[in-house]
Amino acid sequence: MEKYLNIKKVCAGMFLVSICLAVIASVPARPPLKKYHIEGYSEGTTYQVTYFAPDSVIAQRQTDSLLAVLDEAVSLYQPTSQICKFNRSASGMEVNASFRILVSKALEINRATNGLVDITVKPLVDAWGFGVKKPRRYPNDVEVRALVKNVGADKVWLEGNYLHKKTPAVQIDLNGIAQGYAADLLANFCERRHVFNYIAEIGGELRIKGHQPDGEPFKIGIESIESNDITPQPLRTIIQPSDGAITTSGNYRKHLEAGGKQIAHIMNPKTGYPTQNEMISVTVWAKDGITADGFDNGFIAMGLKHTLQFLDSRTDMGAYIIYKKANGAIADTATVGFKSFMRN
Amino acid sequence: MERRTFVRNSALMAGGIFISKMDAFADIASGVIKIGIIGCGDRGKGIMHVINQSPDKFSITAICDVLDFRLAEAEKLCKVSPPNKYLDYRLLLEDKSVDAVIVAVPLHLHYPIAVDVLKADRHLYLEKTMTYNIDQALKLVELSKTRPTQVLQVGHQYRYSPLYYRVKEMIAKGYLGDITQIECRWDRNANWRRPVPAPGLERQINWRMYKEYSGGLVAELLSHQIDFINWAFDTHPHEIFATGGIDVFKDGRETYDNVQVMLRYEGKNSMIGNFGATCGNSRDGYLFKIKGTLGTVSLLSDEGVFYPEKKMLQNKELVDGVTGATKIIWNKEGGTPILTEATKDGTWYAFNEFYQCVQTKRLPDSNVFTGARTAISVHLANAALYDKKPALWKDNYNVV
Repeated sequence: MEKYLNIKKVCAGMFLVSICLAVIASVPARPPLKKYHIEGYSEGTTYQVTYFAPDSVIAQRQTDSLLAVLDEAVSLYQPTSQICKFNRSASGMEVNASFRILVSKALEINRATNGLVDITVKPLVDAWGFGVKKPRRYPNDVEVRALVKNVGADKVWLEGNYLHKKTPAVQIDLNGIAQGYAADLLANFCERRHVFNYIAEIGGELRIKGHQPDGEPFKIGIESIESNDITPQPLRTIIQPSDGAITTSGNYRKHLEAGGKQIAHIMNPKTGYPTQNEMISVTVWAKDGITADGFDNGFIAMGLKHTLQFLDSRTDMGAYIIYKKANGAIADTATVGFKSFMRN
Repeated sequence: MERRTFVRNSALMAGGIFISKMDAFADIASGVIKIGIIGCGDRGKGIMHVINQSPDKFSITAICDVLDFRLAEAEKLCKVSPPNKYLDYRLLLEDKSVDAVIVAVPLHLHYPIAVDVLKADRHLYLEKTMTYNIDQALKLVELSKTRPTQVLQVGHQYRYSPLYYRVKEMIAKGYLGDITQIECRWDRNANWRRPVPAPGLERQINWRMYKEYSGGLVAELLSHQIDFINWAFDTHPHEIFATGGIDVFKDGRETYDNVQVMLRYEGKNSMIGNFGATCGNSRDGYLFKIKGTLGTVSLLSDEGVFYPEKKMLQNKELVDGVTGATKIIWNKEGGTPILTEATKDGTWYAFNEFYQCVQTKRLPDSNVFTGARTAISVHLANAALYDKKPALWKDNYNVV
């Protein structure tokens, strides 16, 4: 009996297994992920999206138009953009959602950095030769002091979608934060298309999620800091960051020279002069591009010691910093969180 | 440095950001330079158009040409006040209203007129090529040395553009690696003649067609590129091979309408320069490529592109993305523009320099020494071309 029962059990077991196998076989296997790559041009630079999906679900015309909408809002190179209209306005104007998000985040970062990130620096950027219109000469002390009077986060404020300015001379520049946000827009677009393994990059600012189809993490190169702004640079280091954003700000390129002195393109909104300290480059990791890009210029202005202090207790943001030591030697350092991304 | 060449340390070189020169740190005495123009042909009038854009710097007070109708055309370009007009340039040199003289005459007249201008104590902007032959080039250097307060600038205007300064800097900084090849063309599909109102004026107006007056395509066109290479590398050709002929327009001209010149450079940069010009095809037009182990520069007169060698991009293939400040933008062919915007015409920058040199008594970048080096190079090229044998640089051509 027992034996019989055992046989019955075995038979029943075999039956169950075969049913299970049949069920498994009837579920279609997940199609393999293929690599897709989009390259385009926006915000005066190139962008690219690499994503892994069973099929091509993102078209370049979609990403182009997504970024074009942002460009129409915040590009200083388009005289008809909202930002140019705002800058020309006497007291402010209604702005669109992207514009509002950028300003609101920038003002938040302004407070967090004690005023070192400031979108009202545009008159200084122009005066020092980094704006759209090139000046005939650099400003003198008196002119700088006059310009600084119109700089400061208290000079602009949002009321719903209306962006106010205190005086007509106040002008803003969102270039320091807009590319990070553009990377966010690309990332969000991927996720809305159910793409969860991607790298979206615009102007050297990235959003990353997931991994290669074989499970390998994505590798991101950090450019070396040659001042040469025309030849491709070797990579200084390669990182494998967690999901989030990676952005870099640096004084090593895009500088001018006058009287034998280098003039950096990142302004100190408090002094009105271009930043001049030991910082050469800061690569920031944060959850999203608007945050990483919003802070990176601020860290350049903040300097090495204060940046490391600022990031010391934070787990939501990390940085890799290249700087010049007192003896002139080039050195680098990273926050604890960022070090975990570094493989070499 | 092999010879006296000067590198300007200016905002122009700092990355070419400023196409309009930023002169915050220049200390220039104010004052308008009174200009006399000798030679009012196409080039003379072209220069008048350019300097008319800077009434704060120049005023044309006297003009001279041997042809009446040219004088009449040039007079119309003097908007501010009617100029004194001369058929004989020696009378213009006696005109007290002239501080500086622009000489834009046929090549064979460059030297005699330049000598007279210097001896008349005037500053001189002398069109390229500096002189018709080697002997004149060496003599003009000697004369100029005895007159250090007088500016003598030679009209190789292309290299005055910020683009060409930037390329010179890129070469010096090694961005192109070891450079061994230069490729230049200056082509047209046209006879290179000017209209002649009366048959008797043929030789005066179409002087470029006749060996007695002109060095042909090499002197009138390729000399700009030959000069840039001499200046940018602080070198000169050591050996020149050439071939050519009257292959397209058998219309009685004497200077070749199809030329190819190979220049061998030795020294720090051992290179081959391959320079050609034809009147029988216009596809390439102006072509100027400088090729090194790390990349190629491809130039037009007002814009240029840098193409790194493929191996320079290889390390990027190891990663899925790159972060960096101020990203370099590559075009579809793998190139990146050298400057972010097109430059003005080289003549504009050349006259800015001429103005500043006159005000400060500074030696121009395109000066009598570099001018002589290029004039000698051009003459050797023509010697190789017309004598049908290689021409060699001699030690006594090294002017300082």
